[in-house]
Amino acid sequence: MGKTYWEAFKEAGISRREFLKFATYITGLMGLAPSMVPKVVEALETKERIPVIWLHGLECTGCTESFIRSNAPYASDLLLNVITLEYDETLPAAAGILYEENGKMVRSGLVGHLDKVVEEYKGKYILVYEGGVPLGNDGRYCIVAGRPYKEDVIELAKHAAVLMSVGTCASWGGIQAARPNPTHSVPVSDLVNKPLIKVPGCPPIPEVITGTILHLALFGMPPLDDQGRPKQFFGNRIHDTCYRRPFFNAGQFVEKPDDDAAKKGWCLYKIGCRGPTTYASCGNLRWFGGISYPIQSGAPCIGCADKNFWDKGPFFQREKGIVLPNVEVDADKVGVAAAAVTAGALAVHAIAAGIRHAGEKDDEH
Amino acid sequence: MAKRVVVDPVTRIEGHLRLEVTVDEKQNKVVDAISSATMWRGIEVILKNRDPRDAWAFAQRICGVCTTIHALASVRAVEDALDIQIPKNSNYIRNIMLATLYVHDHLVHFYHLHALDWVSPVEALKADPVKTAELQKAVIQKYGKIVELAKDYTGLKAYARKFPKATPAYFKAVQDKIKQIVESGQLGIFAPADWWGHPDYKKLPPEVHLMAIAHYLEMLDTQRELVIPHVVFGGKNPHPHYLVGGMNCSISMDDGNAPVNAARLGLVQTAVEIALDAINYFYILDLLAIADIYLNKYNWFYGGGLAKERVLGFGDFPDEPYKDFSKTGDYWNKILYHSNGVVHNFKEGWQKAKYEEFNKDSLEHVAEYVQHSFYHYTVGDNKPLHPWEGQTIPAPEDVPPTPWKFLDPNHKYSYSKTPVYKGLTHEVGPLARYIVTYVGVKQGHIKPTWVDEMVVKQIDMVSEMLGIPAEKWMLSTVGRTVARGLEAQLGANLNSYFLKKLYDNIKSGDTQVANNTKFDPSTWGPGKKRGVGMTEAPRGALSHWVVINGITIENYQAIVPTTWNVAPRIKNEYGEQRAAYEAAMLDTEVKVVKEPLEILRTIHSFDPCLACATHIYNSDGEEVTSFNVNSACAV
Repeated sequence: MGKTYWEAFKEAGISRREFLKFATYITGLMGLAPSMVPKVVEALETKERIPVIWLHGLECTGCTESFIRSNAPYASDLLLNVITLEYDETLPAAAGILYEENGKMVRSGLVGHLDKVVEEYKGKYILVYEGGVPLGNDGRYCIVAGRPYKEDVIELAKHAAVLMSVGTCASWGGIQAARPNPTHSVPVSDLVNKPLIKVPGCPPIPEVITGTILHLALFGMPPLDDQGRPKQFFGNRIHDTCYRRPFFNAGQFVEKPDDDAAKKGWCLYKIGCRGPTTYASCGNLRWFGGISYPIQSGAPCIGCADKNFWDKGPFFQREKGIVLPNVEVDADKVGVAAAAVTAGALAVHAIAAGIRHAGEKDDEH
Repeated sequence: MAKRVVVDPVTRIEGHLRLEVTVDEKQNKVVDAISSATMWRGIEVILKNRDPRDAWAFAQRICGVCTTIHALASVRAVEDALDIQIPKNSNYIRNIMLATLYVHDHLVHFYHLHALDWVSPVEALKADPVKTAELQKAVIQKYGKIVELAKDYTGLKAYARKFPKATPAYFKAVQDKIKQIVESGQLGIFAPADWWGHPDYKKLPPEVHLMAIAHYLEMLDTQRELVIPHVVFGGKNPHPHYLVGGMNCSISMDDGNAPVNAARLGLVQTAVEIALDAINYFYILDLLAIADIYLNKYNWFYGGGLAKERVLGFGDFPDEPYKDFSKTGDYWNKILYHSNGVVHNFKEGWQKAKYEEFNKDSLEHVAEYVQHSFYHYTVGDNKPLHPWEGQTIPAPEDVPPTPWKFLDPNHKYSYSKTPVYKGLTHEVGPLARYIVTYVGVKQGHIKPTWVDEMVVKQIDMVSEMLGIPAEKWMLSTVGRTVARGLEAQLGANLNSYFLKKLYDNIKSGDTQVANNTKFDPSTWGPGKKRGVGMTEAPRGALSHWVVINGITIENYQAIVPTTWNVAPRIKNEYGEQRAAYEAAMLDTEVKVVKEPLEILRTIHSFDPCLACATHIYNSDGEEVTSFNVNSACAV
């Protein structure tokens, strides 16, 4: 068992040429230099396909939906050639079966399969978490197969090769952890003592999820930042790569939804855009192969990949403390925007980064 | 000797749900059924004290599968409370986003969440690719007439972009791929191998299995293209952005940086065209082929349940902007899809069914019970509460300790409340909407729009193709699944219709997408404002109820379609009543107790918005509480 990617591709009747094309494509997708293509090819030829167990806690399944929106590679390529999704609750044919024998519940069907997979691939599977973990009422705000979800979170982590939290709920606690957090929900990282790759976003961009999984399958752990996020996808603030950044620098802002400035596609910072404090790939990768991201569709970013973003509203309220620019236009043209500037002439970038760090300290739990 | 079996979790749904069924093994009969939602996130509680302009973002996270719909209900509720009428363009855009959701959600449900209840990759291996290609042609021939109902209102679509590949080579390639997966032993999403042993998988010929599995794979890649309108208008999918007062996506034909201009509309146009093809040439044809065999060859008419007695809808797709829901009820003057009503007793045919319109005056009759829900009411758990006065107070002490074996239906057993209309549970969903619209038009209560006429045409055409009266085929698990497919076809037409209206309106010089006169909360005035936002979600009638005090949310209640259907039982002045899941399970046979495929199929026909667990056990040693689904109908 355990075919390499190239073997699987060959069996699927995919030519060497197509295979190399795929390797080149995913090299770019993972943010690697073209010089890395031979390494990717080598990895695809020699690495075995890794089983994936995907758990669902308190969530909306939006992250799974995002995952199947991936077009690089397609969802079908992922599910049939790149990974083997051995346990999940959204796509698999089988349901969990349990029945009573001698007063004990026997696990069969999909949950029986889960037990076998864990045994067979001990230390080899990728464990993906989707959703927050409620600790309130002994974990009984989320019961799967008759037991609290938190028990699976801890148990299955023990034999996993790698842990990965997909989405803001699993990574930061998410919407259920927003004030007053009635279920006492926490992120997965509060419960496991193992390295965990965090892929936040509500949901994350499809290719950010699949790109991280590809990196894992081909090269092992991706380089992570100090919060456990893959650097290649979370190294920049949306603001740094936003196509509307020049309007910010020029002091050209939307003041109200759908005003003349909104039609021109000016900066949304003054109606609450969280681009300046949110680390994500919306500005560079964008959604659906580059079609759009909220800002491009005229909506101020709500910072959905950011820790505790739900409690940083109202979303239409401008983030305080970020220095408005006064760099590319004269005072006349800045007009209303300049009037709102209260702080000094420090570099916008540095200030914004400093505020962000201050905010993170406050948010630590 | 009967066995107790639990199915947990039932997959291919959203969220966490548990079902327990008592089976009389001798007769393959379900004699009792429990449906229990086993998760609670507290979003209604979390929404309190927040800015009403942000509510859509929170509410949208109720579901990431039917993403968009809770955002829509939320902005509608807040706009109702604050007396905000949205501009024409945003009405059209919201309708395109809703129709896009119908198309996408229904198609993904059929192929990726429901198909494996009918077809199996293992059976597909036995198919002859040459015969499968012939079957594909025959299916197009036999059911192709229904495709004539598809309409491209924009007039831009040149030819079918997606069309079934009726060639042996195509089916052979798919079969080889399946073979490779099965032989590798790493079945992935098709594991474990012994799952495919149920006798029902032998009902369809192997060629139908291969055709459907091929389309399962093809649509897995196509589905992402269908939601591109959400990405253009809302910036992403899942969870596109909405705005109280309209939409964020400003329109300008002068600016390359504008969220919407001709180039961006081109992306929407292409997605709308692909949706027409995917629904008409794949989804509907596959669906009718399977339905025909199950109904006509095997007489498999199980699973109708509560739909036989009473169904409910709110109506949707306002043709033009409306004033409000709760003050003048103008919403119901503007909608194209007249599923706003209640129909009792459709099982005796449209002539004998009882129709009642749902409108502004109906709002006061919506309420929720918590008799068997893990919640308390301060007024006592036996009294229903209207959602504007609604409460969400969890009752953790009533959640049984884990590990669970079986739930006790005499106590509280679900995180779902029990919604009622005029004191009665109702089934909601595409089937409910089709019944309401059909009976409403046939009995002459509705002055039909093109949408209503299409619904009636579709139903009559399918009845003719199948050679079965509407009330017979519709009131079943198969009928629920067929109604959803027909509604996807309707959704594809609605998409095109509203896109044309958007083009025409922009051409007339109107580019406004937001009414921002009340964007600033200081314009709202003091005091309490109540609002309701209703919509027809893919899974059924959805309502969000908001009370705004000053500039913050004082109370927020969402009554979601799955709550109507999954709800635990109640007892009130109209008797003991069950909601739709429990009623449908009672109306389903189970052949192999340890492999309750029929229960999965029936529950999946509702497209549950929860992850679920089915408990199956026999009556041996268990007290069986007997409920009569029909008893509550004598009102």
